[in-house]
Amino acid sequence: MSTNTVVVPNQGATDADLADPALLKLRDLIYSISGIFHAENKFYLLALRSRRRMKELGSNTFADYFERLTARANRDVEMRNLLNEITIGETYFFRGQPTIDAVSKIIFPKIVALPGKQAVKRVRVWSAGCSTGEESYTLSILFLEQIAPKFKDWKLEIVATDLNDDSLVKCREGLYAEYSVRNLSPQMRDKYFTQEGKSYRIKDVVRAPIKFDRLNLQDQTKMLFMKGFDLVFCANVLIYFDSAAKKRTVEHFYNGLVPGGHFFLGECETLFGIYDQFRLVHFPGSTGYYKPLPGEDAGGKK
Amino acid sequence: MNPETSKMLQRRVSELGSLPVMPSILQSLGTCLSASPGDMNIDRIVELISYDKSLAAQCLRVANSAMFTRRTEVESIRQAVLALGIQRVRDIVYSCSLPKLFSGAQNGMAHATFWRHALGTALVSQNLAQRLKVADIEKLYLAGLLCDIGILVNSLLYPEEFKRVLAQAEASETPLCEVEQEILGFTHCESGRVLADIWKLPPDISEAIEFHHHPIGHQEGLEMTCVVYLADLLCRLRGLGYGYYEAREFDLAAEAPWEVLKKKHPDTAAGLDMARFTIELDQYGVEVQKMVDSIFSNGSGPH
Repeated sequence: MSTNTVVVPNQGATDADLADPALLKLRDLIYSISGIFHAENKFYLLALRSRRRMKELGSNTFADYFERLTARANRDVEMRNLLNEITIGETYFFRGQPTIDAVSKIIFPKIVALPGKQAVKRVRVWSAGCSTGEESYTLSILFLEQIAPKFKDWKLEIVATDLNDDSLVKCREGLYAEYSVRNLSPQMRDKYFTQEGKSYRIKDVVRAPIKFDRLNLQDQTKMLFMKGFDLVFCANVLIYFDSAAKKRTVEHFYNGLVPGGHFFLGECETLFGIYDQFRLVHFPGSTGYYKPLPGEDAGGKK
Repeated sequence: MNPETSKMLQRRVSELGSLPVMPSILQSLGTCLSASPGDMNIDRIVELISYDKSLAAQCLRVANSAMFTRRTEVESIRQAVLALGIQRVRDIVYSCSLPKLFSGAQNGMAHATFWRHALGTALVSQNLAQRLKVADIEKLYLAGLLCDIGILVNSLLYPEEFKRVLAQAEASETPLCEVEQEILGFTHCESGRVLADIWKLPPDISEAIEFHHHPIGHQEGLEMTCVVYLADLLCRLRGLGYGYYEAREFDLAAEAPWEVLKKKHPDTAAGLDMARFTIELDQYGVEVQKMVDSIFSNGSGPH
C-alpha cells in the first residue's frame, strides 16, 4: 500500500472495464494459475494489459477473452502471452522499495547477527531468474552502502541465474539505459556507474560479488547443488510453471536456504496452496517467506 | 491495568479539567447504525444526521464526490444515505465527528495520519472478522476505530512527553508502545481505557482498547481483541501505520492472537490465504485515503 496521497487514475481503462464481472473472473483465473494477485486498486493495470492482448486477438469483451483463456485449444499459449504482458518490462534498479528496505534494514542486520555466521562473515544470495541483472546489482549496491561500512570484513556473494542466454549477456555487459537507473540519485549514479553516452555502465566494485550463470530451474540435478543461501529471490518466474513444477522448484529453494534464511517472490505473487514449509512473514510494505531455525518450527518465532 | 497507573491517569484528567465528551448524537446514531438490517430505521438516521449541519454537509459532499459516479446530483440527506449505504454513512459519521473532539490535541501525531490508521484498522478488523466468521462484526468496526484513541489522549494529557515519545519511536523505528512504556511509564492502551470508561463504551470494546497490543490473559472480549490486534498490525505493515517505518519482521501465524482465532474458527482460518489478504488490503489504502482527504480538506474538516 503506498503512503503517498495521489490517487492513481484509471489510465485509460474505462469505468465499465473496471466494473465488468468478467474482469474479476480473469483476476481469479490468473491468480489460480500464476499466484499473481491483482487487488482492486490494480484492476486498471489488469484491464489495460488484457486489452493489449485482446486487441491482438480481435477479442472485444473480457468475457470472450476469458473463454479464449479457458476453453480454446491454444489457451496455454495465450495464458503465457498474457503473463508475459503482465510481467514485462518492469525491471529497473531499486525496484520494489519496501522489499529493499526490509533487506537492508531488517534482514541483512539479522543475518550478520546469526551466531553461526561470525566465523565465515559472508552473506550468500541467489537471484533465480535474474533477467537482465538489475536486481542483483541493486543488492550489491545496497550491501556496499548499508552493510559494508557498518560491518567490516563481511563479504557478499551473489549467484544470479537465468535460463535465457541473451539476458545473461546483458547482465555481464552491465550497460543500462537512463530508464533503468531513474530511481537512483545523481550521487549514487556517479558512485556506482560510469556514463557512456546516454547509457550507464556498472562499475567493477558492484560487479565483483556477482557470478552470473545459466540455470534451468527444472534441471533437478543442478538444482541440488544450489546450497547455503541466506536469501533467495525469484520474482515472476514460477508463474510459468504448472503446480507440480512450482512445488518442486520452491522445495529446491527451501533446501537451498540455510535455516533462518528468507525467500522473496514478486510483489503480487503468493505461495498459498503451493508449498507450506515456509512461514509467511510480513515486513513493512512487503511479504516474504522464512525458513525457521531448528527449534523455531513448533513454537512461535519472535 | 495497574491500579497505580489508573490512579495517576485519572488524577491527570481531573487536573486538566476533563477529556472530550462523547457527543450524544454519536451515541444515538451509533445505536441506529448498528441495528440489524431488519430493524434499521432509516428515517431516524436521516433525522439525526440532519441535526448536525457539518455532518449533513459531509454526507452530501461524499455522495456527490468522484467516488460515486451518478447522473444526477444528490440533494437531500435521505438520497445521500440511500446512495452511500449504511456502512459508508457510519464511516462518515464517526470519521467526521471523532476528529473534531480531539482537534485540541496538538504536537502529537498528525491528525490525518492518526485517522488513516484508525479507519484502516476499523475496516480491516471488520473484513478479517467477516472472513473468519467471527460474530459481532459491527462492534468490531468501532473497536478497530477506537483501539488507538489513547494516542490522542496522551497528546492531550502529556503533550511535551508524548512529543518526545513520537520523536524517539520514529528515530529508532520502534513500536510506539515500547517507547511510551519507557518514557511515560504507561501506553496508549491504558490511557485509551481511561477514556473508554469515561465514555461508558461497551465492556468488550473497552477491553479491546486496553488489551489490543497484548490480548492474552483476559476473557470477555478476547476474540474481538485478537482481531483488532491483527488488524492494527496489518495496517501498520501496509502503509496505514503511525507515519513512520517500524523495522520489524512479523510472522502472524506465530502470534498468539492468531492461535486464539485459529482454535475458535479452524475451518475459516485454514482457508484464509494471508498473503492474498495482505495484498488485498492495499485497496483499503486508497479508500481510506479518499475518506481522510475529504474530512481534512477545504476547511470543512475538524479544525
